[in-house]
Amino acid sequence: MSVLLAADSLELAYGDAPVCRGISIEISEGEIVALIGANGAGKSTTLRAIAGMMTPRAGSIMFAGQDITRLPSHERTMLGIALVPEGRHVFPFLTARENLELGGFKNRRDNAKVRRMIDEIFDVFPRLRERSGQNAGTLSGGEQQMLVLGRAMMSEPKLLCLDEPSLGLAPLLVRDIFQTIKAINKGGTSVLLVEQNARYALETASRGYVLQTGSITASGLCAALAKDTRVREAYLGRAAAKAGAA
Amino acid sequence: MTATIVAQQAINGIVLGSLYVLVALGLTLIYGVLVQINFAHADFVTLGAFAAYFVMHALGGQYLLGIVAALLVGAALGWAINITVFAPLRRKGNELLPLIATIGVSVMLQNAMLAWFGPVPYAFETPYSQKVFRVAGTFFTLQSVIIIAVSATTIALLYAFMKFTFLGKALRAVAQDRETAGLMGINPNTLIMLTIVISSALAGMGGAMLAPVLVLTPFAGASVIVKAFAIVIIGGFGNVEGTILAGLLVGLIESFTTQYLDPGLIDIVVFGLLLLMLAFRPTGLISERREENV
Ligand SMILES: Nc1ncnc2c1ncn2[C@@H]1O[C@H](COP(=O)(O)OP(=O)(O)O)[C@@H](O)[C@H]1O
Ligand SMILES: [Mg+2]
Repeated sequence: MSVLLAADSLELAYGDAPVCRGISIEISEGEIVALIGANGAGKSTTLRAIAGMMTPRAGSIMFAGQDITRLPSHERTMLGIALVPEGRHVFPFLTARENLELGGFKNRRDNAKVRRMIDEIFDVFPRLRERSGQNAGTLSGGEQQMLVLGRAMMSEPKLLCLDEPSLGLAPLLVRDIFQTIKAINKGGTSVLLVEQNARYALETASRGYVLQTGSITASGLCAALAKDTRVREAYLGRAAAKAGAA
Repeated sequence: MTATIVAQQAINGIVLGSLYVLVALGLTLIYGVLVQINFAHADFVTLGAFAAYFVMHALGGQYLLGIVAALLVGAALGWAINITVFAPLRRKGNELLPLIATIGVSVMLQNAMLAWFGPVPYAFETPYSQKVFRVAGTFFTLQSVIIIAVSATTIALLYAFMKFTFLGKALRAVAQDRETAGLMGINPNTLIMLTIVISSALAGMGGAMLAPVLVLTPFAGASVIVKAFAIVIIGGFGNVEGTILAGLLVGLIESFTTQYLDPGLIDIVVFGLLLLMLAFRPTGLISERREENV
């Protein structure tokens, strides 16, 4: 498998406040990679750097063989990186359909293709078809999560970055969302999955990184990470840690 | 008799109001997309008026080409103020500086116009001001017909652009969430430029059609812009439909106040309404929804 994304020794900061130090992450083509860690560890910041919403202080990011370290986010989207940001960020006063259309901004000169892709997304999420003419801001949290997933897929990404897709969703919906993520991955899209819900993330992904106060403290196959006592204690709850030790 | 007076004032009010709409829409679009106020907008109106005046006279009375010239001058001014003021200051990340800088640009433009055109008012007579129609006791000039036709077409085109085209939707997306628009592959800077150019073109065009009504001096735009600000606030900052409604409303208030009260009371009535709005309906006529969505 060839390397799709390689972030090397990223130093990330907001103003003068350093947040992430020496972050190195690799994602191969076709892989689902999880990035887990406690609240405030720097997961969202890492994703923002990969999507081009902030420029690293130091380090480099290669994507599909190209140095993208200094590219703005809209150019990275054109190259095939899509980010579903934390908190969803639908365009609240555009209709659900218009949100999807904008996801396909790359293909704006091919209206037929955009329509076809929207239909495909409506087939995956029939709820969205029912809601297509409604302002996205009026959709429920679950519907909005489907919408932003669909919107990201409209740009036909090679790499889909998801920031806490399960946050605030009912347990039943969480299951659906992770199923969908797996289906998207089967379609050939690599996925970088950020989750506080470490259990689901480690079940869904094949490899994972553990981020702790701005540094990567563990990485490897998810099966191995799930057995790691420190990971279990910190992210899978006490009961799991005891069971693992026993 | 009274019915014809009412109809007559309604026509006058709509003619004036549609011009206010053109000027106010520019302010509201820039606010909606950038959360900035362009204080030089008034001077773009004035420069549009002068452009129309000189082009019309140079071409022997071609007023419609004068309007086109004003539109182009406005667009060019918008382009210029974005590359000199808004874009560089945005990169600095300061929110207050652009506002102050546009006040500086405004003072500069006014003094430049004073130097070029002098303080004496220009008489702007278009070939269409003298052609009068009478319909059912009311009368209107060909000039008013042109004003209504040009403004209505412009507003309809702008509305269709925002509602139905990919670029128009992208512009609304940038207004709602600039960072997320970037994630869609939209270059926000391009759309901000487009917004300022369109807004300024509207101001220039509005100036070309307001000039025959106003006293054309280097300060002509200032009297309009105060009302345009009131309209933007009454319509709800950044709200296009609200601005259209409020612009027509202020035009009507102005013509009926002139008829039934006293022309000197126009500003008092308009700003009275503005204060009432701020007190009781601060989100504007069509209260859209500006609360953050999570
Ligand atoms: N816009 C910002 N400005 C300043 N500090 C920020 C900003 N966003 C996040 N931070 C800080 O950066 C750290 C990491 O945040 P974040 O990447 O959001 O963590 P996570 O996604 O893992 O919860 C936190 O300490 C947070 O307070
Ligand atoms: Mg986060």
